[in-house]
Amino acid sequence: MSIRSLELRARAVVEGFWNGLHRSPYHGFSVEFTEYRQYTPGDDPRHVDWRVYARSDRHYIKKFEDETNLRCHLLLDRSRSMEFGTLSHTKAQYAATLAATFAHFLHQQGDAIGLMTFDEQVRELLPARHRPGHLRHVYHAIESPAAGTSTQLGTPIERAADLLHKRGMVILISDFLADPAELEKPLLRLAAIGHEICAFQILDPAERDFSFKQSSLFEDAESGNTLQIDPAAARAGYLERLNAHQQSLAALCARVGVSWHPIATDRPLGLALFDFLQDRARRGRIIRRAS
Amino acid sequence: MSFLAPLFLLGAAAIAGPILFHLIARTTRDRTLFSSLRFLRPSPPRLTRKSRIEHWLLLALRCLALALLALAFARPFLRQPTPPNAAQGPARRTVLLLDTSASMRRPDLWKDARARAERHIREASPSDQFAILTFDRTTALRLSFQQWEAASPADRTAVAIAALDTLQPSWFATHLGPALVRAAEELSDTDVSQEGVRRRVILVSDLQEGARLDPLQSYEWPKGIEVVPDPVKPAITGNASIQLLADSPDADRGNDPVLRVRIANSADAKQEQFRVTWGANAAANSAPAPPPTEVYVPPGQARILPLAVPTNAPSLAGTASNTASLRVASIALSGDNEPFDNTLFVHPPQPSQLNVLYLGNDPVTEARQPLFFLARALPETRRQTVHISASRPTASPSAESLDNARLIVATDSLPDTLADALRSRIEAGQTVVFAPASAAASPTLARLLGVPGTSLVDEKPTRYAMLGELDFRHPLLAPFADPRFSDFTRIHYWRYRRFATPLPTNATVITRFDTGTPAWIDFPIGRGRLLFLASGWSTADSQFALSSKFVPWLYSLLDLAGASTTPALHPNVGDPIPLPTGRTAPLTLRRPDGSTTNLPVSLDRFTETDQPGTWWLGEGPTAVPVAVNLDPSESRTAPLSVEQLEKLGVQLDASLSSAAAPTPKPAGIPPALEAESRQKLWRWIIIGALAVLIIESLVAGITARRVSTAAQPA
Repeated sequence: MSIRSLELRARAVVEGFWNGLHRSPYHGFSVEFTEYRQYTPGDDPRHVDWRVYARSDRHYIKKFEDETNLRCHLLLDRSRSMEFGTLSHTKAQYAATLAATFAHFLHQQGDAIGLMTFDEQVRELLPARHRPGHLRHVYHAIESPAAGTSTQLGTPIERAADLLHKRGMVILISDFLADPAELEKPLLRLAAIGHEICAFQILDPAERDFSFKQSSLFEDAESGNTLQIDPAAARAGYLERLNAHQQSLAALCARVGVSWHPIATDRPLGLALFDFLQDRARRGRIIRRAS
Repeated sequence: MSFLAPLFLLGAAAIAGPILFHLIARTTRDRTLFSSLRFLRPSPPRLTRKSRIEHWLLLALRCLALALLALAFARPFLRQPTPPNAAQGPARRTVLLLDTSASMRRPDLWKDARARAERHIREASPSDQFAILTFDRTTALRLSFQQWEAASPADRTAVAIAALDTLQPSWFATHLGPALVRAAEELSDTDVSQEGVRRRVILVSDLQEGARLDPLQSYEWPKGIEVVPDPVKPAITGNASIQLLADSPDADRGNDPVLRVRIANSADAKQEQFRVTWGANAAANSAPAPPPTEVYVPPGQARILPLAVPTNAPSLAGTASNTASLRVASIALSGDNEPFDNTLFVHPPQPSQLNVLYLGNDPVTEARQPLFFLARALPETRRQTVHISASRPTASPSAESLDNARLIVATDSLPDTLADALRSRIEAGQTVVFAPASAAASPTLARLLGVPGTSLVDEKPTRYAMLGELDFRHPLLAPFADPRFSDFTRIHYWRYRRFATPLPTNATVITRFDTGTPAWIDFPIGRGRLLFLASGWSTADSQFALSSKFVPWLYSLLDLAGASTTPALHPNVGDPIPLPTGRTAPLTLRRPDGSTTNLPVSLDRFTETDQPGTWWLGEGPTAVPVAVNLDPSESRTAPLSVEQLEKLGVQLDASLSSAAAPTPKPAGIPPALEAESRQKLWRWIIIGALAVLIIESLVAGITARRVSTAAQPA
């Protein structure tokens, strides 16, 4: 987070990741990585690339870009609660960097990137594209300041389900400090379209552990409500309620088929990306095994 | 330790405040922004033992600051029998300034002032330095610092009180300004080595409005000298006064002589109705006393009352017959509570008799000749009766008539004997005007001047001559020095006489004609003078008698001849009385109380008029009365605002300055206040409280920083 430019930050994370990838045992898995697929009986012979056949004497199927490239939609929460942070960066900055990292990574792979920022409603919407300059628009939209007063995850997800007809990948980045019950229906609807949904929950370590010491008046970042809190007395109850919330979220995601990634902002972004890809690989294997 | 305002100690109860705040300090102040309160439930802070101990130092400092403030406001002082710094030498250098003016004659005032003065003397410790000044019109040193020091410490109080024994209020006015300046100068003499000595002037006075403060305006009050006013207050307020006014311009007219008196009533007076009566002297000739005159004067206002002189009182027109019978009177004001200024002594001005001897051959009925104009130009007034006696030169006027004449005017040749007689009179001090009608009078002029061979020549200018050169510095022309009156060019001279022989060296030419010939020449001879006019005022000579300059010129001539030696009409107490000049024997002065003093010949004025009343210069029927009255300003007895002294730069005692006590305190300075104002412990306590507050701020700042770092989640 010491790099100020979001683009540079994302590039640094991704390049660091690529560099590490050479030594990685997990080579070969990615998001729909292949461009050429070996011909198998039953494929449409029109798609055989004859020039490759001439060079290598093997049959390869040449896939259309539209079919082969992934459409990835980043859904980024820009509500006020994301502005909280006890480290050198806020949750919003962490989430923005994460989103930019995904955008950069996927763009490098030639995937189309779309972006939707939201708080209680959809604020900005960029359709998924893979064009020169599009990535810059994405960065710009990610960096626009937060204005929302509350987080209502249900409404933006419903809206995303309305807008994103073509099957793709949806990466939902938020703190998920909302009622899980509201999420279930929209997530189910989104999943039903065929999207692959990844949910990243960004939490500050202070939110995770409630490590406050001094008794004071706690003010809600979104509603402005205040509560007199003695942390020593309130910690146990808080953690209990937070854990219950987390569990219900995890359960919901498992039920709906959403991959669930709670990340604390003190975790390096590269590791977060690595966790994500590793998880995808595991899912891929599970799916493959299941199939 | 005692307290001047012990009620302020209740303020110490405010200590409960910080204790309470410290107990509940964990409730409110800090705010922490948090992402969402959905997992939080309100948890009120606990008042644990631990929480109270956390800021013990802060609590103690805050309580201490409050306690110190309460203590300072209670104005503590130490009751000590001996004054502080007794061992370090004199603690105070005090001048007691005691008012002995006429207004202190009001009932009980002097007694009260005396008691206060004694109390101040007794309060002075033997180690103090003490001096006593009294003031009225003048300031007198009654006890100097040296006398105080010279007395043994045990006797000092007695010596100082003894200095007050002979004092009584005088009849003089209150000159407070010079007295304060004198007191400050006495105190300013303090040796530099005695720095730290408190220097003060205790002013025991009725502080009346009429007190004169003028010298303070031009005096820079020395730093470090405080004035402690200790005013005495009369039991009854308000005072009316009576004052004689100058004659109105038309006083010389009419047959009914009146005196104009002003009745002034002070603003705080209760009385409004007064009565003015002629005093006992007015009825000396057994006639019934004239009825009193009622006058209504609202408080704060004044009325001018024309008071008809009673018929049995001397006629103001003044004739020789009645001036001898009764020449003085008093006017009393009744209805006023303060009697000290209610009597006005008056004496109608006595017309002075001036004899003018005219030596000439012209009859008084001849309208073109000098005597005709002279007799008409000097009418009789209330102040002056000019008696003109005419005599032919050949008729040889008597030696007595020559002696009595203040002014002798000669217009013709005189016989030698008469000219010699005039010459001797001139040498004795008389004034002679010689205005010959022709050059034939040259021998007379030669005899008068004592210069044989002096001759005159008749001159006749072609048309006329004018006065071309005038010396307005000469007393004769001094009244005309103003440019409005200095134009003599309208006077045409047809004929004049010219000196054919050189002028004597001591001659002063007052005017010259435009031809350069001297017109008026002043010859000082012996103690007198001879005025030679080259052209007279007969119509054959000039237009002078017909001009507007003639009458003023004649009065100027009379003044030059020493006519106006009448004393001031009504001097105030303390004003000098001019004495008649040319006395040959000591003059007897009789005071209003009957005592007499012989005044030596060399004395030209008497200054010790120390009481109101009628003073007599001389003995017997020729004695001249002089009515001496109280200074009118002394009657303005309304209290003087202390702020006025402050405005003039006088440094007042801090505890009695205008902010604290705009009106003088009747009871003087209580000993507790005195001790407190001397010790001023509250200043040190306030400084201590400030120091505690500064430490508290530092500690609070450090604590807050520590707390804020602790507030950050680990």
